Amino acid sequence: MNLYNIIFTGSEQALAAAKGMLAEAIEKNGRDHKVAFPDTAYSLPCIYAATGQKMNTLGDLEGALTVVESLINRTHLLEHALNSGLATALAAEVIEAIKYATMEEPYQAPCAGHVSDPIIRSLGVPLVTGDIPGVAVVLGECPDAETAAKVIKDYQSKGLLTFLVGKVIDQAIEAGVKMSVELRVIPLGYDVTSVIHVVSVAIRAALIFGGLTPGDLSGLLEYTSKRVPAFVNAFGPLSELVVSAGAGAIALGFPVITDQTVLEVPMNLLTQKDYDKVVATSLEARNIKIKITEIPIPVAFAAAFEGERIRKAD
Amino acid sequence: MDKKMMTIDLNSHVLLDKAEKDGVETMYDRKQGFKSQCGFGLQGNCCRICGMGPCRITPKTPRGICGADEHVIVGRNFARMVAGGTAAHSDHARDIAHTMALSSRDGNYKIRDEEKLIILAKEWDVETEGRDIYDIAHEVADVALMEFGKPHGVARFLKNAPEPRQKIWKDLGIEPRAIDREIATIMHSTHIGCTGDIDSLIHMSLRTALADGWVGSMIGTRFSDILFGTPTVRETEANLGVLEDNKVNIILHGHEPSLSEMIVLASEDPELVALAKEMGADGINLAGMCCTGNEVTMRHGVKTAGDFHQQELAIVTGAVEAMIVDVQCIFPALAKVADCYHTKFITTSPKAKIAGSTYMEFSEETAYADGYKIVKEAVLNFKNRDKEKVLIPELKSKATVGYSADAILGQLDRVVNSHIDPAGTLKPLADCLKSGVLRGAVGVVGCNNAKGVSNLAHVTIMKELIKNDILVVTTGCGASAAAKFGLMTKEARKLAGKGLATVCDLVDIPPVLHLGSCVDCSRILDVVGGTAKLLDMDMSDLPVAGVAPEWMSEKAVAIGSYVVASGIDTYLGVMPPVTGSSRAVEILCGELQDMVGAKFTVNENPQELAQIIIQDIEKKRVHFENLVEERMNEKVEAGAEA
Repeated sequence: MNLYNIIFTGSEQALAAAKGMLAEAIEKNGRDHKVAFPDTAYSLPCIYAATGQKMNTLGDLEGALTVVESLINRTHLLEHALNSGLATALAAEVIEAIKYATMEEPYQAPCAGHVSDPIIRSLGVPLVTGDIPGVAVVLGECPDAETAAKVIKDYQSKGLLTFLVGKVIDQAIEAGVKMSVELRVIPLGYDVTSVIHVVSVAIRAALIFGGLTPGDLSGLLEYTSKRVPAFVNAFGPLSELVVSAGAGAIALGFPVITDQTVLEVPMNLLTQKDYDKVVATSLEARNIKIKITEIPIPVAFAAAFEGERIRKAD
Repeated sequence: MDKKMMTIDLNSHVLLDKAEKDGVETMYDRKQGFKSQCGFGLQGNCCRICGMGPCRITPKTPRGICGADEHVIVGRNFARMVAGGTAAHSDHARDIAHTMALSSRDGNYKIRDEEKLIILAKEWDVETEGRDIYDIAHEVADVALMEFGKPHGVARFLKNAPEPRQKIWKDLGIEPRAIDREIATIMHSTHIGCTGDIDSLIHMSLRTALADGWVGSMIGTRFSDILFGTPTVRETEANLGVLEDNKVNIILHGHEPSLSEMIVLASEDPELVALAKEMGADGINLAGMCCTGNEVTMRHGVKTAGDFHQQELAIVTGAVEAMIVDVQCIFPALAKVADCYHTKFITTSPKAKIAGSTYMEFSEETAYADGYKIVKEAVLNFKNRDKEKVLIPELKSKATVGYSADAILGQLDRVVNSHIDPAGTLKPLADCLKSGVLRGAVGVVGCNNAKGVSNLAHVTIMKELIKNDILVVTTGCGASAAAKFGLMTKEARKLAGKGLATVCDLVDIPPVLHLGSCVDCSRILDVVGGTAKLLDMDMSDLPVAGVAPEWMSEKAVAIGSYVVASGIDTYLGVMPPVTGSSRAVEILCGELQDMVGAKFTVNENPQELAQIIIQDIEKKRVHFENLVEERMNEKVEAGAEA
């Protein structure tokens, strides 16, 4: 199937899933049931930044899905493909918001789910100073735990902030990758939709540090593409939904590098089958240059290890 | 006259008023003088190839005196147009090949792109190891000159086409043999009492046209690059506003770079610049027109004064000291127009003498000396300029030009991830087409035609295409139109759709790429052929098209025919004289599809034509994307087995 149709299909799937969940949630809890993510002043950040509207109740979310629907136009032009990707992102945020609104504890350790404002503020300064040179979103499943660990640790040793989504979380744990905000490796969740929590980080960075006006979508996209040095590594078979979410990343200016055979788009959607080159390929694609002062010591050395706790057993 | 119905160029409006005031007749006046043109000629069923005629086909006289019906007459006329066009391009190429044969280390003509020469020598099995570059050049030139009249075999460049395309040509029997032979064969077969079958005449036309695109024009372009340098990206300006008030304005008009290159050199000669100052001018200002203008703007950034329809108007400014011309697309009317001003209308080629002009023969053997003499003549003429009669219109646009195939590769390297792909390939372009970020690529080429409003169709179609994420490449007077209307600036990205705009941004190009002169349409064949080969497809599988919105010359007919024969759908904004034969229309606009995988489509409304092209490209994408998927699956399977 052609790339644009895959994206449109994924968006329609996301929209249908969100609609289904919302109808069910409203039936159970009523339209006025409160909706919010914990510890944020930005309501549902992606929807707020894109539309300028705050979502307070499940009823409000119906309006949000109308916006999502309006972003899906199957005309084969890049503009519509990117909008469709954004639609998927917004639908994912609706799905995640419903989880938070209706479930006791939507995310449990090791998964972080929604990232709070204070954490974003704490990451803001090192992002601005370049101490965190980039944000890697590693998503899907590597061929084995070892490969996953190798890629993640490589990012970690270069000081990047890495978010994990999907089975790669288990692979990282299996391979003994240590994870925490301080260690700059944050597992988000197992569902694809949990990737929205990292998008939400980028978008709140634009709102907090970029002083962007909520609703200024083009300004937002310009800020993220110019100022937030993020990229996505998508490993393993890609569903339509993942490809569609990838288009959302590309709309924000974040290149997607995958190990799968896809229809490549120069600088934006790239295939790298050699796992040893994934990191270098990704950094080049996002134009991330790292000042390296190699110190010949027998353990990994990087700012990312600053918050590491050495337990008795270690 | 209503100027808006004549041209959309505002400079031209100003000068048409001036021409009227000065009592100068222009092309636009003559167009009006003709009122309605003869229907028999328009439909192509008037024949005057023998002394029994002229004959014309009507319901009462359905056959000429010899018995030729409308199909035969239309077919013969069409074939002769193709032969005329092929002859023009090829004689141009022949001169360049002769020039290369004259090249020497200390002569007027040197080898500037040695690498390109070596590549060509290897393609043609000319020994290169340990040889002097000029010995190689002379041998390559001799081989090229044989391509015009070799007794055996078929054209050498054909093997550069994708293999499936070569097979189509072979199976159809339209592989051109030698250029002059194909032209002569058409002249023979269209003689009275020879070919009496329109299918055969069109078949012959395709073979002759291929001798243009894949031989004559291709030799012209490659050899020009080798001798004068392969174009690289550079900035320039276009439209009559590039003429300067207090400089000696020289306009170069015509086609062959052997002359224009020498004029460029001579215009920079310190002695002549000093002479210009002595005459009271600030210096020498060179500007180009038509394809010779395109050649020098591609290689030197020389400003473009205007296009085919502005040649008279340039003189009407009263600010042109000399209009230096060689061959092709030069109005004989220029002699008359120049008479009304101080302008020297200088013809230089024995192949194109024009009554009433100043003839100063240019010979490649004495190239620089001739160029010097001609420029000096222009400089000395500055004192005759009548300031009262000068009106330089103010409009001009910036343009980024110089996109040879090599320059395009260079730009594409900007988006190659060094950890994935090697540099120097067309893969980024192929990827953009495959993924659909670019919906397609279209070559907008050709002339200006008095049947329509000058520049309107070019500009309308280009704007529509880029808005729909279709990359536009252009040559000839299409390129001049794009440059004049600001479509070759990087800022023009904002007129493009998001996909094309993104590509332009990343690759750092304007949405409309200047590939050069009319012989440089062969660059388009190179890029499309190269992309097809990279994708393991035929040229007819790609979502690409060619369009000649305002075509007028026989060269355009030859170009359109070789583009179709190369598997690229071709769209015309002016109806060729073929409607007199239903069979001709049937073949050209229908059956060619089954023969060569492409056909002609004609629509004289530019807005409609643009929409048809866009829809056809989308239709073609379905086929293209299926093939892409097939190739990807094959690759995955092959990978799995390994």
